[in-house]
Amino acid sequence: MRFTILTCAILTLACGSDNPVTPPTGSRALTVFGAGLVSDRYTGEIWVRGGVAYTTTWGNRGAPGNAVKIWDVSGDVPTLVDSLIVPNASTLGDVQASDDGTLLVVATEFSPGSIMIYSLANPVKPQLIARYTTALTDPGVHTAEVQRVNGKLYAFLCIDPRSGSPARLVIVDLSDPAAPTQVFTAAMGSPFVHDVFVRDGILITALWNEGVTIWDIGGAGSGTVSNPIALGNVVTVGGEAHNVWWYHNAVTGEKRYAFVGQEGPGAIGVSSSGDIHVVDVSNFASPREVAFFHVDGAGTHNFSVDENGGILYAAYYNGGVRAIDVTGDLSSCGAAGKSPDGRCDLAKMGRELAHGPGGMGPVFIWGVQLVGLRVYASDMLNGIWKLGPVSFPPD
Amino acid sequence: MKTIAFFKPNYRAGRIRRSLAAVQLLLAPLALVGFPALTASAQGGQHASGVFEIGAQAIGVATRESPAIDGRTLTEGYLTQPMIMAQLDPWGGLLSLKGTLDFEGATIKRGELNAGIYGEGYIDRRHPHTYLHEMVLTSERRFGGDGTNGVSITVGKGFSAFGTDDPMARPFEKYPINHHLAQILERAVAIGALRTGSWIFEGGAFNGDEPTSPGDTPNRNRYWDSWSGRITFVPWPQGEFQTSYARVKSPENPDGGGADQRKQSASIRLEDVQHSGYALFEWARTGEYVGSTRTFAYTSLLAETWARYDRLNGALRIERSERPDEQRLVDPFRTPVPATDLGIAGRSRWTIITARAAASLMNARALSLEPFAELARARVSPTLRPSGFDPRQFYGSDRMWSVSVGAKLAFGMSHMRMGRYGVAIARKPDARMGGMKMEAL
Repeated sequence: MRFTILTCAILTLACGSDNPVTPPTGSRALTVFGAGLVSDRYTGEIWVRGGVAYTTTWGNRGAPGNAVKIWDVSGDVPTLVDSLIVPNASTLGDVQASDDGTLLVVATEFSPGSIMIYSLANPVKPQLIARYTTALTDPGVHTAEVQRVNGKLYAFLCIDPRSGSPARLVIVDLSDPAAPTQVFTAAMGSPFVHDVFVRDGILITALWNEGVTIWDIGGAGSGTVSNPIALGNVVTVGGEAHNVWWYHNAVTGEKRYAFVGQEGPGAIGVSSSGDIHVVDVSNFASPREVAFFHVDGAGTHNFSVDENGGILYAAYYNGGVRAIDVTGDLSSCGAAGKSPDGRCDLAKMGRELAHGPGGMGPVFIWGVQLVGLRVYASDMLNGIWKLGPVSFPPD
Repeated sequence: MKTIAFFKPNYRAGRIRRSLAAVQLLLAPLALVGFPALTASAQGGQHASGVFEIGAQAIGVATRESPAIDGRTLTEGYLTQPMIMAQLDPWGGLLSLKGTLDFEGATIKRGELNAGIYGEGYIDRRHPHTYLHEMVLTSERRFGGDGTNGVSITVGKGFSAFGTDDPMARPFEKYPINHHLAQILERAVAIGALRTGSWIFEGGAFNGDEPTSPGDTPNRNRYWDSWSGRITFVPWPQGEFQTSYARVKSPENPDGGGADQRKQSASIRLEDVQHSGYALFEWARTGEYVGSTRTFAYTSLLAETWARYDRLNGALRIERSERPDEQRLVDPFRTPVPATDLGIAGRSRWTIITARAAASLMNARALSLEPFAELARARVSPTLRPSGFDPRQFYGSDRMWSVSVGAKLAFGMSHMRMGRYGVAIARKPDARMGGMKMEAL
């Protein structure tokens, strides 16, 4: 009995140092269907297509972050079926399949920076088609967004800075995946360009302390992929603009808001910081921040939006996954929901719907993706989670 | 000033060899000019404060570290700290030039095994210093009968007025891991100093960016964006109490936009009258800031002592320092510069005990040879849990041993006490400790 009490006390003290992030009252727990454990490496980004999930790896946990784990997620519990090992890489920070499901693109860091392009003819046995690396992809490709513009497939590569060489964007034509060709490059970001969002011929770049810039690459009539035209810029509060999602409300057709993730300082496993900033982009020439979402003790990372349901799923590192109601007018709130600078505070407005995974020990959620009726999350400490989506409570 | 311009290398973009050749060409006549002064100094049995002095040193060392990484033991050999030092003082301090060339960029490019150390893109290996380690012009004016009081101004590339002496001028071959917490060096500096009685006041500005390669030079657009101040109390000639503070702008992101640092240091340095014993007690802390918000802090406590008996000398150092653990490159002893964001993988605390024994085998004319052995025991533990860096997983153990055996060969001018200029150091560098050879306050 005494031993049990002592053990519990030690565990309580140990867990007490895990910087628990308390969800607000009214935020429901997301249903956990299952988890696939990864303990040999730190897990990075996630991409799910059909019944297969791909998770990348980060840093060095004894083993370097040079593996892509391939999971069968057709059942409740993700099952590891295979791995890819990428030579000459220490971190694989991004992974994405093309919209037609034929290609898988993986970003590699550090020196040489590159993208690995795989065929998904067999989704659980990706076959390498090409490794694209040039002097301009050094020292590392932080993210690689794969999107189609006017019917042609491109990869938008965010390149890390190094001394004497600023961060830059490189756009690569993937029409012939065996021989990708660069169509555009420009230095941008202060000091980083971490991610982009591409939709309807509009490119939105997350430029850290320069905020976000909206570019026409064919959607607004003047720019092209090889000649992007800057339309507007906004520096979100606090800078550190890391990632973007331009929200198209599938019910109303509204395309008014872009969600910008802020990545502040943090320590893997234990702390993070940074808010979600809501930018009104209804006028590309003068975007403006109208609202934000803050979690005490945690910071956001990547997003996935249920555009039919109006729910933003945000990875919140040590704060898990947060599901946020983004329906309606986000720029309008009463005094109780307004911050001193006039922006609407979505947390104060009670818009957090759910959180998770909970009760499973410390998590550090990097990425999240809604696919069908399930939410998948990559957890740097634990691997991959399969969660149930949230729905609005009945009126 | 033309000499400075000639010395100032720019090794970027494949110009390293050409610049090294230029340095060699310059040093040849300097050595010829300086040799009479060296000879006179050595034969005279006391350190001459000559118009021109020159010296050189290098250490050959073999290090065995277990485990160094992934449970593996590594054994490596180096030619480390190869340096040429010179000082030109034609007008009794009115205007003097002090320089140090460091060739570690050519000899330890991969870095030197040194468990726990970090900085400038290296981790668990000590980074090579820049070729132009130090080149400063100092003008000083002394007051009073004994020449103790005075004012000075120093400009050039060198140490900011912060912290303690450079480890290169202290007893051990292996660096303490608090190097980047306790010193700020290889910057474009402008320092003013005032000495009155037992007090020394220094203040200066410098560029915040750390070097990113041996051939790197301070970024011009970063000149004077950082500052430091140091107050030293010298109650007796062999005792020194200092405290200092620095604000360093984006040191690890040379183009700016990275975290800033606020650094604090306090130390007590003691030395006996015969210069046969020395002790240093040091506390240092660096806080990283994004805007006005502190994100992480790293603290160091260090105590080291050295004593000489006839031709033998020994030293002991105990250090407890915290360090940031960062992402690693394909080469696990390297980290990206700059980091890709403001986060860290973890923070670890290192407790290291290092013992050293050495013998002065030759100390004739201008040459000295000192074989040595150093034994270190390190223990590391993460201070944040869970962490993105698990020492046991990464090294294979949270305890490691390091043994180093080597010899230091020195020639000519004593290895200067590094980190102070003008009236912040003694007017006449007459204190020499075999194996250390420091300038006394």
